[in-house]
Amino acid sequence: MNPASPERDGDPPHWADATPFDPRPLPVATAGAGGSFGRFWRRFRRHRLAHAAFWLLAVLYLVVVPFAEFIAPYGRDQRFPDAGHHPPQAVRLWGDDGLALPFVYPAAGTVDLDAMRRIYAEDRSRPQTLRFFCAGEPYRLLGLVETRARLFCAAEGGTVFLFGADALGRDLFSRVVFGARISLTVGLIGVAISFTLGVLFGSLAGFFGGWTDWTILRLVELLRSLPELPLWLALSAAIPATWPALSVFVGITVILGLLDWPGLALGVRAKVMQLREEDYAVAAAMMGASPRRILFRHLLPNFSSHLIASVTLAVPAMILGETALSFLGLGIREPLVSWGVLLNDAQDFSALSIYPWLLLPVVPVIVTVFAFNVLGDGLRDAADPYVQG
Amino acid sequence: MRLLEALILALAFAGAAAAGPPAPLDPPALAAAVAAGELPPAALRLPSDPLVGGFETLGRTTGRSGGTLRILLPKDKDVRLLNVWGYARLVGYDENFELRPDILSAVEVKDGRVFTLRLRRGHKWSDGAPFTAEDFRYYWEDIANNPALTPAGVPEELLVDGRPPAVSFPDDATVIYAWEAPNPRFLALLAQAREPYIYRPAHYLKRFHEAYGEAADIAALVAAEKVKGWAALHNRRDSMYDNDNADMPSLQPFLIEPGGGPLYRFRRNPYFHRLDPYGMQLPYIDAVEATVVEPGLIGAKTAAGDSDLQARGLSFADTAALKSARGKGGFRVLLWPVTKGAQVALYPNLTAADPVWRALMRDRRFRQALSAAIDRDDINATLFFGLATPGNNTALKESPLYDPARTAREAVFDLARANALLDEIGLTQRGADGLRLLPDGRKLEILVETSGESAEETAILELVAPAWKKAGIGLLVRPYERSVLRNRAYAGESVMTVWSGFENGVPRPAASPDELAPVRQDMLCWPRWGQYVQTKGQSGEAVDLPEARRLLELYAAWVASPDDAARAAIWTEMLDIHAAEQFTIGTVSGVLQPVVVSNALRNVPENGVFGWEPGAQFGIYRIDALWLDR
Repeated sequence: MNPASPERDGDPPHWADATPFDPRPLPVATAGAGGSFGRFWRRFRRHRLAHAAFWLLAVLYLVVVPFAEFIAPYGRDQRFPDAGHHPPQAVRLWGDDGLALPFVYPAAGTVDLDAMRRIYAEDRSRPQTLRFFCAGEPYRLLGLVETRARLFCAAEGGTVFLFGADALGRDLFSRVVFGARISLTVGLIGVAISFTLGVLFGSLAGFFGGWTDWTILRLVELLRSLPELPLWLALSAAIPATWPALSVFVGITVILGLLDWPGLALGVRAKVMQLREEDYAVAAAMMGASPRRILFRHLLPNFSSHLIASVTLAVPAMILGETALSFLGLGIREPLVSWGVLLNDAQDFSALSIYPWLLLPVVPVIVTVFAFNVLGDGLRDAADPYVQG
Repeated sequence: MRLLEALILALAFAGAAAAGPPAPLDPPALAAAVAAGELPPAALRLPSDPLVGGFETLGRTTGRSGGTLRILLPKDKDVRLLNVWGYARLVGYDENFELRPDILSAVEVKDGRVFTLRLRRGHKWSDGAPFTAEDFRYYWEDIANNPALTPAGVPEELLVDGRPPAVSFPDDATVIYAWEAPNPRFLALLAQAREPYIYRPAHYLKRFHEAYGEAADIAALVAAEKVKGWAALHNRRDSMYDNDNADMPSLQPFLIEPGGGPLYRFRRNPYFHRLDPYGMQLPYIDAVEATVVEPGLIGAKTAAGDSDLQARGLSFADTAALKSARGKGGFRVLLWPVTKGAQVALYPNLTAADPVWRALMRDRRFRQALSAAIDRDDINATLFFGLATPGNNTALKESPLYDPARTAREAVFDLARANALLDEIGLTQRGADGLRLLPDGRKLEILVETSGESAEETAILELVAPAWKKAGIGLLVRPYERSVLRNRAYAGESVMTVWSGFENGVPRPAASPDELAPVRQDMLCWPRWGQYVQTKGQSGEAVDLPEARRLLELYAAWVASPDDAARAAIWTEMLDIHAAEQFTIGTVSGVLQPVVVSNALRNVPENGVFGWEPGAQFGIYRIDALWLDR
């Protein structure tokens, strides 16, 4: 059992540990409960604004995007021919008889031929209580289950236009909800593409250096020197018009993703260049680890927090890109709606002067972009080892 | 022919009745120049028989001379509109769409084929040079018949049966155009918003013409401007319509000043040939300032009171916002019905290159089904508050050829009928998304190409699409720049185009029915047939559809027909064929065009109509008679 060497005369006593050698390292002392993620999360939660943004975006992505049909009171293309440019109806809790269930006042529309517009007179005598978990137009939930269930609907025979209606009498709130599906997904898919490309090219350039680095750097510089908007315009104009609206959407997303990676790639390259000289990377190389293993097992995890933050900050750029393209009429096309498509209607000067609610789709754009930026900030701070927490 | 002669004699008489005009007065703005001897006095500037009148019948008031009119234009090229609205023509329409001599003092017509044009004695170009028969001769002999300047030969519109007229110039004030056969189109041609200008300022252009100018001077200019030769130089200088050469003498009321945009200035033509009843030389207004702004900003700037007279760039959807701003902006908003056959019409391309689509577009039942699947009442109620007229692209109420039954024919919303017609054609296969399939298995999805310039078109297509979908027809919209759009249609690449309906929705029998017959390539339902006729068979395709061939025959019959009764019968048959065949698919017509008029601006009629041809938009209401009360 004892592998100690036999004693020899004259030699000083030699001690050796009796326990067998275990090549695996000692267990790392975990700082507090939950390990590094726990520490990260605790620090993140201290950033209250970022924490709120996180939950807001979680609701948007996990509830609004998949269940848009359920949340919107009306279908995307459902028209009310008599409700063109219907102003928003406020949801009220306080009526003539005091506190009440949420209700709206109906409005009767007439065409005023002198003003040449529809005038809506609120009828305060007939409050209409909203219904919850009610039946609306049929749709397929998640594309699977045929149902009519809606989160809320107008009273029987009434209307509820939370954000007003557009020129054709379509509920703007419902369209904003459906627009969220497209606009938010564009952000995610686009970022996924740009993330993959950015990490791939960035780490290749940083790790191998030499002509690989040179080629990739030139490509990055080329892409970054192209004026962004005209390039988007040219590429989206190249999408054939005969494509179905959905493919156009995918095409736009891919275009946005393909053009967005250079920034990320530069960041990744710098990090990789720095880390590959670290002792543990050199050691791994000495021990014969493949470049792939070194890159993805040893180097990437060391700046994943940085990656998460930059990816989070890239999503709003995608959303704004899509909005800009659709606003200019070159992005998502009807009948699909995105926030940009909805804002396209607001270009009209009538929107500014007499139908201001047509500008409302700008609110979710601002809120989402703001939330992503705050979240990205919070994530970066939480992941930064030099920030005490 | 006798009716036309009578009409022309009446015109001549009206011209003669204007004799004995009041003594011309100098506008105050020119008084200083006259006193200083820089300009001759009014009596020497104007023709001895200037054009007076029109004021009584229009309910207009005589006004004060002076002031600057501000307008907004969506693009630089639109400065040419001043030559349209100025509407000084050899003969022009009055506000009742009757032809009257204008630059000419009289026209005499013999047998419908010999036209004697009589000029006003002493009429002068805007630079003071005399306007004479020489200017007509220069156009005819040295431009129209000069192969370097007009490589294609005499313009098609001046040919009858492919033969040009014999043009003679008996004296300084007389020009005779004589064809071998009657030419009922000639006078209407001279009255067009964009006329052919059969006269040019010879004294100005000759110096650029190989046959007259100094060879050395021309060579120097050609070298300096880096153009191909004298012809290119001449063409560049010869700009009767485009308003891009400030040196070019003109007969129009307003002259463009040198200098570029975005603010273009126009000054009054001191030699303009019209007088008000008291003898004050027109135009009343001294100057026009046209500012080019982004098309999207015209509404907002007009609402802010930055324009004194604005219709360009405004549409019915803007009316409410304009009206809500009228108090603050100091203007009123007039609503004039548009005189197009339809505000927006769909043009199935019968000469499309794709054989499957072409066969389908040529099938009458298919076009009828497309029409029956449009809910025009919904379009009218949603976008126009029910104030427009749903129906075909055809003659409107204001036309003597109007027939309410024709307007509604094949234009009633009936999905069952649309579906039955499509089934009858054999388009019974459907894809997974419910759309029908073409015989070759492609989806029945019509790509409608649009210029993308009009929000009205987009809105109407948005209303058409869901109804078509219920008939199993997909509708996709693709915007193209205007010239690209046209070229795609001419080449047969497009399947369907959306454009406004017939320019002339208020036709009289004497108006040419050339929009109704396949004789023009710019009619987007049959560009290649039109090309064939216009190029005399060199390109395009021969008409091979019996109904379209019938239209061609009728058009030829109209050209040869002796009187208005016969022409009215031809027009009626042509309009009926169009309604039955749905060569163009109309939506609504008689849409109201907002015309914003500054409170200070006088003599704009409350109830006008808005049209390009005939009408020249503001042209028939004579912008030279507008005046500013401030």
